Amino acid sequence: MPSARCSMLERAPQDDRVTEVRPVAFRGAGFVPKAGRASGWTALALVIALWQLAGSAGWVNPLFLPAPSAIAVALYKLAMSGALWQHVSASVVRIGSGWLLGTVAGVIIGFAIGLSTLARGVGITFISALFPIPKIALLPLLILWLGIGEEPKIATIALGVFFSTAISVYSGVDAVPRNLIRMAQSFNVPFHAIVTRVIWPGALPSILAGFRITASVALLLVVSAEMIGAQFGIGAFVLQAGNLMQTDQLLAGVVILSLFGLAVGKAINVLETRLLHWR
Amino acid sequence: MTKFARLALAGLLAMAAGGIAWADDAQKAKIGVLRLSSSAPVFIAQDKGYFREAGLDIELKFFDAAQPIAVATTSGDVDFGITAFTAGLYNLAGKGTLKVIGGMSREKAGYPLIGYFASNNAYAAGLKTPKDLAGKRIAVTQVGSSFHYSLGLLADKYGFKLADVKVLPLQSLSNAAAALKGETVDAALLPISTARSLVDSGGAKFLGWVGDETPWQLGAVFAAPKTLANHAMVTKLLAALARADREYHDVILASVKGGKAEINDKTKPLLEIIAKYTNLPVEQVVGNCAYIDPDGKLDVKNVDNQIAWLQDQGFVDKGFAADAIIAKEYVKAD
Repeated sequence: MPSARCSMLERAPQDDRVTEVRPVAFRGAGFVPKAGRASGWTALALVIALWQLAGSAGWVNPLFLPAPSAIAVALYKLAMSGALWQHVSASVVRIGSGWLLGTVAGVIIGFAIGLSTLARGVGITFISALFPIPKIALLPLLILWLGIGEEPKIATIALGVFFSTAISVYSGVDAVPRNLIRMAQSFNVPFHAIVTRVIWPGALPSILAGFRITASVALLLVVSAEMIGAQFGIGAFVLQAGNLMQTDQLLAGVVILSLFGLAVGKAINVLETRLLHWR
Repeated sequence: MTKFARLALAGLLAMAAGGIAWADDAQKAKIGVLRLSSSAPVFIAQDKGYFREAGLDIELKFFDAAQPIAVATTSGDVDFGITAFTAGLYNLAGKGTLKVIGGMSREKAGYPLIGYFASNNAYAAGLKTPKDLAGKRIAVTQVGSSFHYSLGLLADKYGFKLADVKVLPLQSLSNAAAALKGETVDAALLPISTARSLVDSGGAKFLGWVGDETPWQLGAVFAAPKTLANHAMVTKLLAALARADREYHDVILASVKGGKAEINDKTKPLLEIIAKYTNLPVEQVVGNCAYIDPDGKLDVKNVDNQIAWLQDQGFVDKGFAADAIIAKEYVKAD
C-alpha cells in the first residue's frame, strides 16, 4: 500500500493534465478533541498504581514520598476526627466569597475597559502595573490594613481572581466580531441591548475560559490566604503539615485541593454546555 | 598603615597556604546553619581554623529557616545541621532519619533571645507582664515552633491552659510583627533581632524574655545516621565545636551584663567574626548573644519534655522519647 500511494503522488502532476475525476473523502473535519471518559481515569489509575508500587516495594523513602495508601489513611483519620469538615467549610467560604468578589469586580472592569476609551487607558495601565505583584509579598501590608480576620484572606483571593478575570473579559469583548456590533449600531439598537444581546454572548466563551483559570487561581491562593493566622482551612492544614514535616498529611491536603479543582472544572463544563449551547 | 596592611596580607596568605596544605588530607563535610548569633561557635570554629586543625575541611551552607536544615540533613545535602529544635525536626528524628549529637543555644536567664511583646493597646489595657498573657490573642510564626513551645512552658509555669490562649500562626516573623504593630493581636513572641526595631519605634511594648521565665534547650547539633557511622569525623567535629563553645562562653558570655556583651580588646575579635557571618554590625551582635554551654552539653531532660509536650499537642507522632533520637555515644548530657 505505501508504495502504491507513493507512486500516485509522483504521478500527480501528470494527472492534472488528464483532468480525471476521482472521488475524494471528506477531510476537513478539524480537530475535535472530545473529553474521553476512560482515558483520563485510566491514566490516573496507572500513575497511582505505579506510585503505590514504588512505595510498597521500598523504592522511595516513605518520608519523601508517602504512598497513596498512607495518604488515604491520613485522609480517613482526618475525616473521622471531624476536622476535615471544619477545614473544608472554612476554605469553601473563603474561596467562594473571594472568587465571587473578584469575578464581579473583574467582569465590570473588564467590560468598562472593552467599551470605553478612558477606562481602557487607565484600566490597562493599572492592571499591567499591579497584576505581577506577588500577593504573598503584600501579606504584612494586608495584615496592617485589614487585620487577621476573614477580610485579608478573602481580599488575597479576590485580588488574584480580579486581574485574570478583568484581562480575560476585556480580551473577550475585543474579540467580538466588529461587523456584528456595527450592524446592530446601524439598526439603531440601543447601547444596553448591544451589550447584553451582542457583546455579552460573543465574549462569553473567553469569559468562561477565564473562569476556568480564576477558579484554579483561587484554589492556589487559599494556601497563601490562610498563612494569615488561620486555625482552620485546607490551606492552613497544608501549611501546618509542612511545618511539622507530616508529609502524608501534607499530601492528603493536596489531594483535597485537587478534588476541589476537579469539582470546579466539572461545574464549569456544565456552565459551558448550558450557556454556550449555540456554539 | 601600609606596614600593617602588608602584615595582614602576609598573614592572610599564610592562612590560605595553611588551608591548602591541610585540605589535602582533610575530611570534607558540610554543615547547615542559620546566619544567627545562636550558631556563634560554628562561625568561630570555622573562622579561627579549629575545624581545619582538627583535620576537617568544613563548608558552611546557609539556610533561612530552621526546618529546611533538618530536611537537608535527612536528605544528605548537608552532613551536619545546627539549628533550633522544631516539631518538624522531631518528626524526622522520630522516623530514625536524624540523631542529636550535641547541644547548642539555650534560653537562659540574663541572655535575651526570644521575648514576649504586647501591642500598645493591649499594654494600655493591662497586659504588662508575661503572666497576663492568659486568654489573649498571641501571634507565633508556626505551630510547633520554638515560639509555640515557649508559650506552652509559660502556660505551665503560671498555671493557665494553653487552650485558653488564641495562638495565631502567621508563618513569618514579618507577618507577626505587622500583626502586632497593626493591633490585630494582643501579643507576639519574637526574637530580639526582629523586635528591637519594633520596640524602639514605639510599635510594641516589651513584656519579658523567655530565658528569664522558662529556660530551655533551644538548639542542637544533629546528623544523619550515615554520617554517625563515620566515628572519627563526628568526634573531630564535636571536639572543634567544644573548643569554640568554651572560647565563646569564656570570652563573650562572661562579659554579658544587662543582656549585652562588652566590646573590649578581648571580645572584639570574636564579635567581629560573628558580625561577619550574621551580616550584622557589632553594635547589634552584642545585644543578642545566645547562651551556649561551654562544654556543648545537651539538656536531655528538657528535650524529653519538649517531645512529650509536642506529642500531647498532636504535633509530633507518638511512640518515642528523647533517648530514641539522641546518639548517646556522642552527647554530653547535662
